[in-house]
Amino acid sequence: MGDLKEYLPILIPLGIVSVGLLIASLAHIFTHKKYRVGNRALWVIVSFINFIGPVLYFAIGKGDE
Amino acid sequence: MNTLSVKNLSKSFGVNKVIDGISFDVPEGSVFGFIGANGAGKTTTMKMILGLLPADGGEIFVRGERVCFGATETNRHIGYLPDVPEFYGYMKPKEYLLLCGEVAGLAASETARRSIRLLEMVGLSNANKKIGAFSRGMKQRLGVAQALLNEPKLLICDEPTSALDPMGRKEVLDILKQIKGKTTVVFSTHILSDVERVCDRVAVLSGGRIALCGTLSELRARHKADSVLIEFASQANKARFTADAGALLKNAVSADLELTLHVADIANAHREILRVLYANEIMPLKLEILEPTMESLYLEVAK
Amino acid sequence: MKAFIAFTKKEFTESLRTYRLIVLAAVFLLLGLMSPLTAKLLPEIMGSIDLGDGVFITMPEASAMSSWEQFFGYIGQMGMLALIITFGGLMANELSRGTLINLLTKGMKRQTVILSKFLTASVLWAGSYALSLAVCYAYTAFFWPGGVLSNAFLAFFSLWLFGEFLIALLIFGGVLFGNFYGSLLGCFGVIIILSTLNLFPALSKFNPSSLAAQTLNLLSAQKEAADYLPAFIICAAAAALLVAAAIAVFNKRRV
Repeated sequence: MGDLKEYLPILIPLGIVSVGLLIASLAHIFTHKKYRVGNRALWVIVSFINFIGPVLYFAIGKGDE
Repeated sequence: MNTLSVKNLSKSFGVNKVIDGISFDVPEGSVFGFIGANGAGKTTTMKMILGLLPADGGEIFVRGERVCFGATETNRHIGYLPDVPEFYGYMKPKEYLLLCGEVAGLAASETARRSIRLLEMVGLSNANKKIGAFSRGMKQRLGVAQALLNEPKLLICDEPTSALDPMGRKEVLDILKQIKGKTTVVFSTHILSDVERVCDRVAVLSGGRIALCGTLSELRARHKADSVLIEFASQANKARFTADAGALLKNAVSADLELTLHVADIANAHREILRVLYANEIMPLKLEILEPTMESLYLEVAK
Repeated sequence: MKAFIAFTKKEFTESLRTYRLIVLAAVFLLLGLMSPLTAKLLPEIMGSIDLGDGVFITMPEASAMSSWEQFFGYIGQMGMLALIITFGGLMANELSRGTLINLLTKGMKRQTVILSKFLTASVLWAGSYALSLAVCYAYTAFFWPGGVLSNAFLAFFSLWLFGEFLIALLIFGGVLFGNFYGSLLGCFGVIIILSTLNLFPALSKFNPSSLAAQTLNLLSAQKEAADYLPAFIICAAAAALLVAAAIAVFNKRRV
C-alpha cells in the first residue's frame, strides 16, 4: 500500500459522506417507530450496507411520518 | 333546480352488476343521505359522479352539465371527501390547502383567506403540525376543509363518519349541519342515526337498485304508524290480552312485558286493541303508536 | 399551467422532506469519489496479492482512463440501482395511497401529474449525475494531470439518456401496476430483457442498455460514436413513448 497521505484528499470526503448517510439513516430509524415495511432491527442492519442500505431505508422502510 | 341528477345509471365489475339502472335527483340546498350496506355500491356511484370511474350506462348531470369520465368539467362545482382522505404527511394543513387552492386555480391570497375560515370551522386552527401526525378524526375534518375550499355547489362525502369514534362523528356531523343550506350535500353512510340527524332526503341503495327515495318526512308519512307498542303491568295481563287478540298478533314481536304489533290498517287495529283491553279489563302501562325509524324503513326495503 | 407549477413545487418539497433529494445526491457524490479511488487502489491491491511462489498479478499502471472506467461501471450499475429504488415509488406510492384523489377532483389534469413527476425526477437525476461527474472529473484531473478524454460528451450523455429512460419506465410501471413493487419488478424485467439482448453483439447498437453497459467503448473511442446512434435514438424515443403511454394509461385508469 502506497503512502496513505496521497489518498487523504479523497478518503476524507468519502468517509464523511458515507458515515453521514449511515448516521442520517440510523437517526431516522431510532426516532421513528413505524416503518412501512420491516422492523427496527432489520433496518439497522440494512443501513450498514454501504450507501445502498440508507437508500433502501429512505425509499422503502421509512413510514409516512 | 336539481344540483345532481342521476338517470338510469348502471355499472358492472366483471359479471357482478353493482349498480343496476338507478335514478335519483338531488334538489339544490338539500342534504341527501345515500344509504346502503357495505358493498352496496355507494362508493362506486360517487366515483362515477366524480368522473373517476366510467359508467356502463346512463347519465349523470351536475347543475345541468353532463359528467364524462376522466377530467370532467363538472368537478369545478363539486367538493369531494373520500371515505379515507389521504394527504401528504410531510405537509402542514395550511400548506396542503395552499396546494389545493393552486391546483384549483385560486389566487394565493384568496386561498389563505378561505383556509383560515375553513380551518376554524373544522376546528383545526391550532393544529400547526404535520398532517402525518394527525388522528383519523382530524384528517377527516381536514378532508372536509379541502373539499369546501373551492366553495363547491355540491359536496360529496363518502362515509364521512364510519371510521370515527362518537366524538369525531359528532364533530363531522356538526360541520355538515353548519353548511346545510349554503351547499348541497350528498353523503353516503350505513349509520342510520347519522341520516336522521342531518339529512332531509334519502335514497336507499339495495341490490344495485334504489329501494326507497324521498324526503325524510315523506317517507315517514308513507310508512306512518304501522306499529303499536303495548306495555303491560304484569305477565298475567299480557297473557289475557294475547288470548283474546287473535288476528292482531300476526307479525307481533313480544319482549318481556312489551308487545309490538305490526298492522296494516292502523285505525281498525287501534279500535280492536282498545276493545280487547276494555273487554278483558286490562289497564296497560303504555299504549303507543310508533314513529317509523330509519332503521325500520331500511329493514323493510333492504330485505 | 398554474396547476403544473403548483404540483411541481409540491414534488420538489416532497423530494426535500422525504430525503429523496439529499440521499440521491449523497449516493452519486459517493460514486464520484469512489471511482478515482478504486482506479488508484486496484493495481496496488491486486499487485500485493501473492499467488504463491512469488508470483504476482501485474496490472497496468492506473490512469485517467481507468478512473473513468470505474466511473461508468459504478454509475451504470450502482447508480442506476439507486435511481430505480429512489424513483420506484414516485408514481406508484401516490396511487397505492390514494393521495391524488383530492387534487384530481379539484380539476387537475392527469397528464399534469405524469409530466410534472417526469420533470422533477429528471432534474434530480441530472443534478445528482452532474455532481458525481464533477467530483470524478476533479479528482481524476488531480491524480492524473493531463488525461485526455475523447468522445467524452457522448459517453456522459448516453448514461444520462439511459437514466431518463429508466425514469420513464418507472413512471409507466407505477401507473400500470399502481404499487412500488410492481413498478420495481417491471423495471428490472425490462433491464434483464435488454441485457439478455446485449448478448447478441449484432443487436447492441440498437439496444438502449448499451448506453449504460458499453459507455466505455464510446469513451475510449474504440468504436465510432455513430455506431451507437440507433441506440441513442431508440432510447430517447422509448422514453418519450413511455411517458406518452403513462399518460394514456393513467387517463383510462381507476383512481
